[in-house]
Amino acid sequence: MIVLNDRIRIDDIRRIVPGIRLKIPLFSSYVAAGFPSPAENYIEKVCDLNDLCILNAEATYFVRVGSDSMSGDRIEAGDILVVDCSLEPVGGRIVVVWLNGDHVVKRIRFAGEMIVLESSNPKYLPIYVHPGEDFKVFGVVTRVIMKPV
Amino acid sequence: MNLIGITDCNNFYVSCIRSFNPKLIGQPVIVLSNNDGCVIARSNEAKAVGVKMGQPVFQMDKLISDYNIQVFSSNYEHFGDMSRRVFDSMGRFLENVHVYSIDEAFFEASGYEAIHPDLEEFARMLINTVGQWTRIPISIGIGETMTLAKVANKYCKKHPELGGVFIMDTPEKRNEILSDFPIGDLWGVGYRYQALLKRNGIKTALDLSKMPHDWIKQFMTVEGLRLVYELQGIQCRSLDTEPLHKKSICCAPSFGTKVWSLETIREALATYVARAGEKLRRHSSAAGVVTVFLHTNRFDKVGPHYSNSQTVILPHPTSSTMELLQYADTVLESIYRKGYEYQKVGVILNDIVSESHQQELIFNETPDQRQAQLSKLVDKINGRYGRDKIRLAKQGFYEKNWRMHQRHLSPCYTTKWSDILLVK
Repeated sequence: MIVLNDRIRIDDIRRIVPGIRLKIPLFSSYVAAGFPSPAENYIEKVCDLNDLCILNAEATYFVRVGSDSMSGDRIEAGDILVVDCSLEPVGGRIVVVWLNGDHVVKRIRFAGEMIVLESSNPKYLPIYVHPGEDFKVFGVVTRVIMKPV
Repeated sequence: MNLIGITDCNNFYVSCIRSFNPKLIGQPVIVLSNNDGCVIARSNEAKAVGVKMGQPVFQMDKLISDYNIQVFSSNYEHFGDMSRRVFDSMGRFLENVHVYSIDEAFFEASGYEAIHPDLEEFARMLINTVGQWTRIPISIGIGETMTLAKVANKYCKKHPELGGVFIMDTPEKRNEILSDFPIGDLWGVGYRYQALLKRNGIKTALDLSKMPHDWIKQFMTVEGLRLVYELQGIQCRSLDTEPLHKKSICCAPSFGTKVWSLETIREALATYVARAGEKLRRHSSAAGVVTVFLHTNRFDKVGPHYSNSQTVILPHPTSSTMELLQYADTVLESIYRKGYEYQKVGVILNDIVSESHQQELIFNETPDQRQAQLSKLVDKINGRYGRDKIRLAKQGFYEKNWRMHQRHLSPCYTTKWSDILLVK
């Protein structure tokens, strides 16, 4: 059995430098004593979570969710979002935006001149962004990191 | 014609903080030096209400409350990561980005005609992209030499209507701008040369570029001559030959409180040497000369004052923290005097050579390779698990009361999990 004791506190892991990588071999096999693993020759690349989650490292930021307004999309308070600021905010995608003094996570829709920010929790009403409001798209959410309960 | 460009981040430290806190856009914002001493960065709004560069913050209480100026400590962890992001973003579109300082980088601006026929449009695309990816505003100056690129950049900062781009690519444009460009704003003209030139009636960069070469060489050395050539559009400084290795590394933040005891100063020095050593190894270099200095606060009216420094030349350049500290610690012991309230201890590493270079010296006593490897391994582990997770015992293990004051620290939005942006 594998004991997963969580000895490194998450706060202690710091940068998103691609050089610091968690390497998980793509193939693994038991090594018979004295004989090299026959699979060894096939291990050419290791899976890297950074490759999977981060396409544009320079423009990617992590943000923490602070509300339950997107719970319909299984985004809960405390989850971490991977946000790519180089992507265009296409209608229908989940985005992080700056709106009237706060950063918020919402699904964005374009209705003519109007921008609509939808929550996926029925408790929250859609927000209509009017021209002239303090509004700016921060980036597009590309991954959600959550801890299963 | 080979054109060279420079990118400069506008009010960089302020922009880094605004990048994650747009509430501060349009407000007067200042960033303070280490230990919250004096102003090292100002937003345009802060400049407009009269905040001066280098002004000590304790003189500014009234100004700060009158204009509701937002005050922040310097947060080099955050600034450093944002700097990397800005220049890495540019590196997606440019072949060679030569980072010159935390907020400036040179690049070759020629050779992109096939993909970007209009250079100005290309520069604007870079500004927009960096803006979207990092929310840091940059400006770009382009000229025939590095010096002229800097002139172009200064010019476009003074003229906001240019939208952050200025290309000085014809002799006519060059003469027009240089004829109005104060000598003191030129790259490499310090206070001393400025005074000399003014005494001789040279007021503008254009005047300087027309001076006879003999005169320049006599009074401003060959460096001055290079400057004159560069102003005439002849490349003398090159992106490749600018020193890659830092000439010296200094680590000397002031103490947060007054410090008396040798033991405490030792701890601080050990920590600074560890920082300086990390920096050395990051640039794959080694240092051959170590200077340690120690002083009380000269501006303190009470109490006796003392300051001293001493330099040792090492038997061989080294990058090992342990070896560096061994010498630094001995120096400290010899310059420390009992009975003073010390404000600062610092270490300066000089005679920096590249690591590969020093290995070629067969007849020199070479450093112990195992030590260098050990230090590198420690860097790797600390890079993963956090700074100083593995440290020398001399650095101490307890809460440091000599640590710097950072009362107005902004969050490390991109480098600490506990500090990342919160969204609603």
